[in-house]
Amino acid sequence: MSPEMGHDDVRTALAAEALGALDGDEAEAVRAHLADCAECRSELEELREAAAALAHAAPPAPMDADRSARLRARLVARAAADRAGGAHDANPDAFSTGPALKAVAPPLSVPDDRGGVIPIARARERRGGMGGWLAAAAAVLLLIGVGAYAARMKGRYDALSERYASLDDERTRLVRSVARRDSTLASLSGAGVQVIELASTQRRAPNGRMFWDPATARWTFFAHDMPALKAGRDYQLWLITPAGPVSAGTFRPSPDGGAVVQATYPLPRDQLKAIAVTEEPAGGLPKPSGTPLIVGTYGTTE
Amino acid sequence: MPDTLVPAQADRELVRRMAAGDEAALGALHDRYATLLHSLVIRIVGDPDDAEEVLEETFWQAWRQAGRYEEGRGGLSTWLVMMARSRALDRIRSRRRVREERWEELPEPSYVEAGGSGDVPSPLESAQADEVRRVVASAVARLPPEQRQTVELAYFRGMSQTEIAEATGQPLGTVKTRARLALTKLRDALAVLREDAR
Repeated sequence: MSPEMGHDDVRTALAAEALGALDGDEAEAVRAHLADCAECRSELEELREAAAALAHAAPPAPMDADRSARLRARLVARAAADRAGGAHDANPDAFSTGPALKAVAPPLSVPDDRGGVIPIARARERRGGMGGWLAAAAAVLLLIGVGAYAARMKGRYDALSERYASLDDERTRLVRSVARRDSTLASLSGAGVQVIELASTQRRAPNGRMFWDPATARWTFFAHDMPALKAGRDYQLWLITPAGPVSAGTFRPSPDGGAVVQATYPLPRDQLKAIAVTEEPAGGLPKPSGTPLIVGTYGTTE
Repeated sequence: MPDTLVPAQADRELVRRMAAGDEAALGALHDRYATLLHSLVIRIVGDPDDAEEVLEETFWQAWRQAGRYEEGRGGLSTWLVMMARSRALDRIRSRRRVREERWEELPEPSYVEAGGSGDVPSPLESAQADEVRRVVASAVARLPPEQRQTVELAYFRGMSQTEIAEATGQPLGTVKTRARLALTKLRDALAVLREDAR
């Protein structure tokens, strides 16, 4: 069910609608409003025209001359064949990209009296002369044929629907993956990102590096050579402030000792004194209970 | 008068002939709009073979649906551009399932400077089209980078506002505001063309 949207809300969303960027529910609500609001329809047309004009801003890229000539010839030939074969779409929803769709539906036919196949039109012509039994048989066979065809189309529709759902899921997964990657890159490469080195307090030399973007309050921590944890234990990352340690999350390293932790936590620059990692019970604690495994002080790198 | 904004007489005549079944009109439509549409489609799909197929589908759709074209709802180029963009986005969406790296392979935008296209042939080989491109490119170039990025992700990559928010790490409300401001500015820039055309 789409949410209700008032006139002002819809007007605010019209630019996104013109760009095709509205999400499902919102798009549905906007379109429902448009059906009854001429003012919004008019504004949407202007915005759509503005969106379409973006095509003019793309770098001019003429098609290769040979390729263009072949495409033109193909189009004109197809159009000539189309004109010879029948009229254009009378039904707006029946748009076809070519003759291929026409070929999907086999011609309706019935067996003739010698076991061959004759067009249904001929069967009708012969119905009167051959008697009622032939007409009845033809009708039955026709129904069987139509039923089989409908079942085949239904099967094809179901398969395509399933395929579409699968592709849509895959698309959603990929978009999220890209979003995560972009978000990580943004938190590492921002102009104001601070880099804090953490040194080991252990002989085995685990170490880490914290990237802090004060502008977005994002913290991205990379750890290396972390010792493996026993069951029921986690590493916990701490931001050390004058008011005490603040947890920035728990993590378990990969088999090679590496780990990445991301957190969002606003903290004034003068409040950060150090970064530390301790080993704690699984899930972490409100306050550190263990000795810091690695520590990095802050204040000298600014 | 810029054909983007007001349907030109030549466009009306082309549509009328196509609706009447004159295949030569489809050839003329191709001559008139192939470069504009190809520039858009190649920007989205990146691959010349894919772009050619998308263009063929677009022109074929225009041929089949010429009788349904409503002049009052926008110029012919707007109609064609919307069809081409929709089909190009469908193409990259189906391709992304097997080629995730295509996200990075998409060409980066490089808008034409307001001075014109230099040695690059005019898409419509007309001064009017050059003027439209100059005004649009100039308007886009003047947008703040974050607004331009929002419009580009939506228009050329087909991302929804939620997807843009996730991709850029910005709040959804910020993305909505940027999209609205950017497109409104672009609309106002086009209004200048309308005024000039009167």
